[in-house]
Amino acid sequence: MKKWIPIASGLLAGFVAATISFADFSTKTNTEAASSTKSNAEKVYVPFGEKDDYYLFASGGHSGQMFIYGVPSMRKIRTIPVFSQDSATGYGFDEHSKKLMGGYTWGDLHHPAFSETKGDYDGKWMFATDVGNSRAAVVDLKTFTTKDIIKVPNTAGPHCAAFVTENTEYMFLPTRFAVPLGQKYESLDDYSAKYRGVMSAVTFDEKNVKLNIGYQVALPPWSYDLSDAGKKGSADWAVMTTYNTEESTTTMEINASQADRDYIVLFNWKELEKMVKEGKYEEVDGQKMIFPEKQKGGIYLVPVAKSPHGVDVTPDGKYFIASGKLAPAMTVFSFEKAFKAVENKDFAGERNGIPILNYESVMEREVNPENALGPLHTQFDDKGMAYTTMFISSEIVKWDPKTGKTLDRVPVQYSPGHSVSAEGDTVAPDGKWLIALNKIAKDTYLSVGPSHPESMQLIDISGKMKVIMSAPVDPEPHYAQMIKADKIKTINVYPKDTKNKDAVYKQSETKIVRKGNEVHVYGIAMRSRFIFDAKSKRPDVIEVNQGDHVFIHLTNIDFDEDITHGFAINSYDLNMEVQPGQTNTMEFTADKAGTFPLYCTNFCSALHQEMNGYFLVKPKN
Amino acid sequence: MNDSKKGSKFSVTSSLLITLSAVLIVISMFFPWWKMVFYAPQYPEGLNIIVYPNKLKGEIDIINGLNHYIGMSNFSEKNFPELSYLIYIIGGLAGLTLLTAILRMKKVLYGLIGIIALVGVTGILDLHFALQRYGTNLSSKAPIKIDPFVPPIIGENTVANFITHSMLGTGIYFVIAAFILLLIPLWKDRVR
Ligand SMILES: [Cu+2]
Repeated sequence: MKKWIPIASGLLAGFVAATISFADFSTKTNTEAASSTKSNAEKVYVPFGEKDDYYLFASGGHSGQMFIYGVPSMRKIRTIPVFSQDSATGYGFDEHSKKLMGGYTWGDLHHPAFSETKGDYDGKWMFATDVGNSRAAVVDLKTFTTKDIIKVPNTAGPHCAAFVTENTEYMFLPTRFAVPLGQKYESLDDYSAKYRGVMSAVTFDEKNVKLNIGYQVALPPWSYDLSDAGKKGSADWAVMTTYNTEESTTTMEINASQADRDYIVLFNWKELEKMVKEGKYEEVDGQKMIFPEKQKGGIYLVPVAKSPHGVDVTPDGKYFIASGKLAPAMTVFSFEKAFKAVENKDFAGERNGIPILNYESVMEREVNPENALGPLHTQFDDKGMAYTTMFISSEIVKWDPKTGKTLDRVPVQYSPGHSVSAEGDTVAPDGKWLIALNKIAKDTYLSVGPSHPESMQLIDISGKMKVIMSAPVDPEPHYAQMIKADKIKTINVYPKDTKNKDAVYKQSETKIVRKGNEVHVYGIAMRSRFIFDAKSKRPDVIEVNQGDHVFIHLTNIDFDEDITHGFAINSYDLNMEVQPGQTNTMEFTADKAGTFPLYCTNFCSALHQEMNGYFLVKPKN
Repeated sequence: MNDSKKGSKFSVTSSLLITLSAVLIVISMFFPWWKMVFYAPQYPEGLNIIVYPNKLKGEIDIINGLNHYIGMSNFSEKNFPELSYLIYIIGGLAGLTLLTAILRMKKVLYGLIGIIALVGVTGILDLHFALQRYGTNLSSKAPIKIDPFVPPIIGENTVANFITHSMLGTGIYFVIAAFILLLIPLWKDRVR
């Protein structure tokens, strides 16, 4: 008698059942990158059911927004409102985002920058700056929504930001425009004495999702253009380009282009941090301000061909490459040589109290691809090769930073400002793709009149560079970052927050509470109705008196991915959204008496059209 | 041992099988016993109602939210009082099974098999009537009017844009395995 047969068969039955119930057969693979045997169309085609390999985060410039694209399909996926109002999402209308906006209605979103861990994108946060109204913002990549914005004092137009240090210790905001401290009135005749180009070291408190200013540096009144943090051996350092070291105050097109040399500011942020800890700063406007001419150390100038734009650190952290903008050449500088020059005090004098390093001692090589004009910005591939945009000669030039040799070049249409390669400014770029962010599209797309969209051209860099796709984009990407899609972990619905006193998750707990002339509505939105007070004869009606201060707290109790509801009050200029599981608040004064339909603005269900009610305002006698 | 005793007692191996059966019954309590998956064009991933002996799991809130369109009442643990005591019945059966293994008496085993079969049939009927209650008691004020229906305990059914799949859960397979283990001694220790 084989005793084990029945025992084994019993166990087997259990295991088979478990396998049937728990096995997961659902994983789907992404399209893998360009293989040279594919046609251009096949390389960018992402069939339905599959997803792109990369997310592209493009700054939206003076739209104040950020644009999200998929790569290689170049399909636009999302607009994230950051510095400008957006009625599609109610951004700038609901209480949280209205407060974040700080009374401003637009912004000029320049350089998006991912949070980093060990010099690589960690996919958690995205930072951005506003040149228009001097702000900095952080976007949560779990929800692709803006979580915090700060106004940065003493500075006006943080253009050459944001760039983050290797472990997101700081995000630096140098300024494009010099202004007097506190942005007080000062005559332009006193420009050199009274104006400053203040750089801010912004910190991010990840736990409380709050931006803060660690300290500021009162740099000379020059314009700061672009910047990059060091990597690996140069991780404690950062570099940024300057122009208008002439300190001209008018017609800068001419006057800021006179000197043969401008500078790269090279600074050690660890040292500056130490100085602040030791009290080597002055209090200005509530900020800890370092004045480089008084609190010496940590900041140096490196002479560079005039009016440089980009300065980019190689993935190995050994070199920084400055691009000449008005000069035809790129200059490769060595961090190692710079450190030696600092150590040996190998200075060629001082400007505005800051030591100037000897150009010859720091320069590694000058690179001058034939007939290439207007180098602006450099990105890297997985082999450490450099790709520089040439604004004036409208092309991308691939070259080897170790030899200076030109390897490849491809024309783009037209006038590329920046470019972005896959994770191209990290310690480990991916190669594969590069996107040229072109300022002029002109004849590329169907005409829409005298002005055209900008264009983003996808370039396959896995072999010989080849433009394989062009996608129009609204004004105006200045800079972009491209991240491997699997690094981003979004949530499907907002989790229940039982500590949120504004949230209501049960229909029966909805209520309208009056406190003097304040009316608080604790309501829910669900497919396909609003309930503001379950016990009321008409649960979807809010009735107030003219002049009442109204708070509408609305929770979307459809915990179901993509079932977003909107909430608008007709003729009250109000609209907001509640994403699945989210609670949002709208606050306003009911100053207009009358009858105002309220309705769901975000199409949610077959009976979306029935998802409405009334906001009744009783007139004051 | 005399012959009559030998006829009424079963072997140690059988006792072990019955012990294992008790263990499987206990294990089954930690797994879902039955589930229903709702598929729709908008829900290719499927929405689940997963029934454990003592709780409901799955996307119950979403299903309830959608069910109000056809006027179906809400699924909730409150509407299934069975979930508050079922676990004790199962625990009791596991205890009885273990006792049977210890007593090693055939008569007790027959009794046990009978009780489990009875409880099983009752359970199936209970589930059937619950499904009937839900599918036929539709509110007359529902925005979408559909004909009353009774979803099967195992198999497929179509309601509006949803196709439902009802199936047994892992827990019930453990119970079936446990039941088979109880039957084996009947054959193994049959009087030759
Ligand atoms: Cu809706």
